[in-house]
Amino acid sequence: MDTLRGLAKLARIAREEQTPVFGVAEMVRLRIQSEGRPSVTLIPLGLFGGLSAAAASILLFMAVQFWQYINSPFMQLVAPLPEIRLW
Amino acid sequence: MENTDWLDVAASVKGDDEAYARLVRRYEKQITSLLWRFTRDPVQCEELVQQVFVEAFFSLKTYRGDAPLLHWLRRIATRTGYRFWREKAKEPQEMPLPDFEIIEQIEAAEDDRIDPSEAAAVLHTLLARLPAPDRLVLTLLYFERCGTHEIAERMGWSRAKVKTQALRARRKMKEIAEREHLLERLGWTL
Repeated sequence: MDTLRGLAKLARIAREEQTPVFGVAEMVRLRIQSEGRPSVTLIPLGLFGGLSAAAASILLFMAVQFWQYINSPFMQLVAPLPEIRLW
Repeated sequence: MENTDWLDVAASVKGDDEAYARLVRRYEKQITSLLWRFTRDPVQCEELVQQVFVEAFFSLKTYRGDAPLLHWLRRIATRTGYRFWREKAKEPQEMPLPDFEIIEQIEAAEDDRIDPSEAAAVLHTLLARLPAPDRLVLTLLYFERCGTHEIAERMGWSRAKVKTQALRARRKMKEIAEREHLLERLGWTL
């Protein structure tokens, strides 16, 4: 007999095997209940995101304030020049 | 899809535990039977069966009902089993040769008197020597009698890939079986 045909024959016999029965319905229900709860990892993540947003808002507010404090930001760069006596 | 399945799926999506428990009880036998081809350890097999139904529950909203629910569950189960093999493959292990003593027990038996369970154990041991993709294709071909089209669909592979894989896997399996003198030991040489 050819080896591959032998293997196919072995498989044919093997397919008649009775497989075990576990009765997993209750365990599946319990696992779904435990895994289905809102993930706790999302809470610290949201908290971190919120804090970052708050810190960014404060920085933005301060930046705007500082910007406005400077009368003319670009003029500050050339302001000393008119005072220099060129001749 | 059967009407009862459809009603239970719809109820499960709405959060009816009992409806999903009914689906689990309805298809547990078929899914266990499939996953038994991936591991013959009852504890591991039960864990995989649970995993499949938990995963199926959380994906239930994506089930469109184009194919029967059992096909959809079998696809999840096949991928779960395959993932299990790949994870196991990371652990250094070698299928112990003494497992082949099972063959000696059935050596003298007539074909019809070979215990299917022992035949399955022998085949499982031989298949375990192949890399995961080869093993998967042959497991589905030999045990589940799947065609290349179905294997491709279950795994999301192309049909050409499955065909090539099957050809290669058969060649390797033949070599392994011949190295182990399988047919001589089974008394099937004539």
